[in-house]
Amino acid sequence: MATSLHSNQISAGQEHAPGGSQNPVLVTKDSYEELEEDLSLDVDQSRPRHASGVIAEIVESRQHSEVDSNQNNAAVDYPATDQQVKGITADTNHLSLGDGQLTDESEVFVEEEEQRLRSGSVLQTVEKTKPAVVEEDIHSAAWKKHKKHIFILSEAGKPIYSRYGNEDKLVTLMGVIQALMSFVQDDKDSLRSVVAGGHLIVFLLRQPLMLVAASSTGESQQQLFLQLRYMYNQILSVLTHTQLNRIFEQRRNYDLRRLLSGTERFLNSLADLMDSDPCFLLTAVRGLPLDNTVRDVIGQSMQSAKVKDLVFAILIADGQLVTLVHMKKYILHPADLHLVINLLKASTSFETSDSWVPLCLPNFDSSGYLYSHISYLDDSPACLLLMTVDQMAFKEMENCKQKILEKLKKHNCLAAIKDSVKRGSYTCQEVGISELRHFLYKNKSTAQFTAPSWGAPYSDPAEQERLFSLYRFVHQKVHNPARPLKILFYVGSHESALGWITSGFELYAVFSPLTTKQVAILAVNKILKWIKKEEERLFILNPPEY
Amino acid sequence: MAGTNINGVVRSTSVTGEFYDFACKVMLIGDSGVGKTCLLVRFKDGAFLSGSFISTVGIDFRNKIVDVEGTKVKLQIWDTAGQERFRSVTHAYYRDAHALLLLFDVTNRHSFENIRAWVSEIHEYAKDDVVVMLLGNKCDMTSERCVKREEAEKLAKDNKIPYMETSAKSGLNVDLAFVAVAKDLQMKKTRRPNDPKFSVLEYVDQQKQVPSKCC
Repeated sequence: MATSLHSNQISAGQEHAPGGSQNPVLVTKDSYEELEEDLSLDVDQSRPRHASGVIAEIVESRQHSEVDSNQNNAAVDYPATDQQVKGITADTNHLSLGDGQLTDESEVFVEEEEQRLRSGSVLQTVEKTKPAVVEEDIHSAAWKKHKKHIFILSEAGKPIYSRYGNEDKLVTLMGVIQALMSFVQDDKDSLRSVVAGGHLIVFLLRQPLMLVAASSTGESQQQLFLQLRYMYNQILSVLTHTQLNRIFEQRRNYDLRRLLSGTERFLNSLADLMDSDPCFLLTAVRGLPLDNTVRDVIGQSMQSAKVKDLVFAILIADGQLVTLVHMKKYILHPADLHLVINLLKASTSFETSDSWVPLCLPNFDSSGYLYSHISYLDDSPACLLLMTVDQMAFKEMENCKQKILEKLKKHNCLAAIKDSVKRGSYTCQEVGISELRHFLYKNKSTAQFTAPSWGAPYSDPAEQERLFSLYRFVHQKVHNPARPLKILFYVGSHESALGWITSGFELYAVFSPLTTKQVAILAVNKILKWIKKEEERLFILNPPEY
Repeated sequence: MAGTNINGVVRSTSVTGEFYDFACKVMLIGDSGVGKTCLLVRFKDGAFLSGSFISTVGIDFRNKIVDVEGTKVKLQIWDTAGQERFRSVTHAYYRDAHALLLLFDVTNRHSFENIRAWVSEIHEYAKDDVVVMLLGNKCDMTSERCVKREEAEKLAKDNKIPYMETSAKSGLNVDLAFVAVAKDLQMKKTRRPNDPKFSVLEYVDQQKQVPSKCC
């Protein structure tokens, strides 16, 4: 039974949204509005969809500031500088494949492929890389049982990724998907979704890629679209939009797996994370609970170690944001930060050494890479990322990291982070509301959220999954584009849930099934009060800037 | 914090407080999956990363100090990702490298055939006096071997670089590869004009162990 209420039954005003801040660290645009805009774009109008040129802008401004400082010494020849800028911009966006090189290499590759096919050694290679895993294919019962499939293919119908099973064995399925999508596309229309029994199949065309989700989880079309967009962005973060386009302009039937080798892990981990972490659902980031004085010291330490061209300095512990310092003009999109968090979650190789990784943040600039120095500080769970536009700045970033590390050690900040990670999130009991079982709270002005740890009765993973799908259900009801709601009270067989959206926050709270509306409303007001009291510990409110 | 040791080299302290005489940059390159990271972990920690394949993302950076006849040489080792998409990043750092360890997998013909391309990349991007060494890794897997030692030796000879076979799993020749590089670099640095020239080729030939055929 679902009931909507009048919002005036709840007294809290939006301006008091706990955890709000005037200067957000993250882009706060609503992801559903973004999605609507995105989907309303025609296939040919992909330009406005992709953020581009920011990196070039930073490189350019650096050029100008260098010019400014040289002004006293010599007359400045601006046209030449502009040319230099172009040169450097081209450099920044220079991708691992030269134009000529690509065609050459891929032709060689095709030959090899043919050779291998002829000698029948393809199967051998496949067996070698995955010896222990039993290959699932479209006919196997286990494959059919998976709740959510995700497929990625090229417009030519070549398989790129499948969440379950080996893409090679799903070639026929990929062919069917390609046929369906291009059939509708021929009529200048686009296929969005198909309902088949208990499955919702969602199609997203992001030329030159096709992405498909087939799900029996009860998620809405929008929610699945958002997830496909994340998968697409994950591919962009590896290749950049520019490179992806160029490859397929040159060879329509290119096998993209060749360039993506080694990244299946990140796609898999992202797909799993989206099924369990509410940050994707909320398009928000979770802050690590930390005393605000400690957080300020950390922020200042990171700020004071600033080096040239450093765009973002991010400190993450256990998938939660400790703090973030950004160049004055540029702020990070939470969806980009999610990709970074996924990168750290999915790879253990960062823990053992300092790494230097080119990363494209699609919402920041999909045309080029930010070069990222990634290191875990002193074997603690705190991972520092320093992102710059300068490909050659490893050494500068290494020095910057040393400085930050020394300061953090001096002020005992790493110990504080370690403690907080060990303690985990607060329990629901700490909030002190007896009817309350769990909640998610997102502050819209900071794109950050907070939630208690999974306590009883949700200590069992299966129960957590059920609760998460309840959140997804309430979320999709209040975000229904045809009939958006402000408040929803839902009574299910295991629990009742309240979803409440204002211009300042989103709150989802879960109670025992016998809780009445009135009690629930009293309780959410208490939650808001509690969050207000704790906001400095739970949210990053005063992020420093460079 | 600097002192002078017997060889007349200024001794400095690394961040972790260890003493060393000079530092040099060694880079591990080669196709994806040939065992660059495993070789490095074997050398650094004496362990073998078995089980699942962990591919390096971008470039990883580790330090190890080795002792070459009383001189402490700090090797700053860059472990690179073998995938093509990281080439532009790795190329950019070739020029900084004092030594390059070029790896292929003796059980993967393709990785061996790519060595020529790697060598030409080295000529294009690296310093002229860079120390290069060719390593045939995974030589413990005798039954799956598909690159003959003679072939690899010939290729190395044609390119005037030393060759040896290594196994990150058994540890065969792993330390030697790094120590030989360190020795070569140390000799280059401290050699006086009249000293006999150190040949890393000869040194490697004398020291290397040949993997046993029986398994």
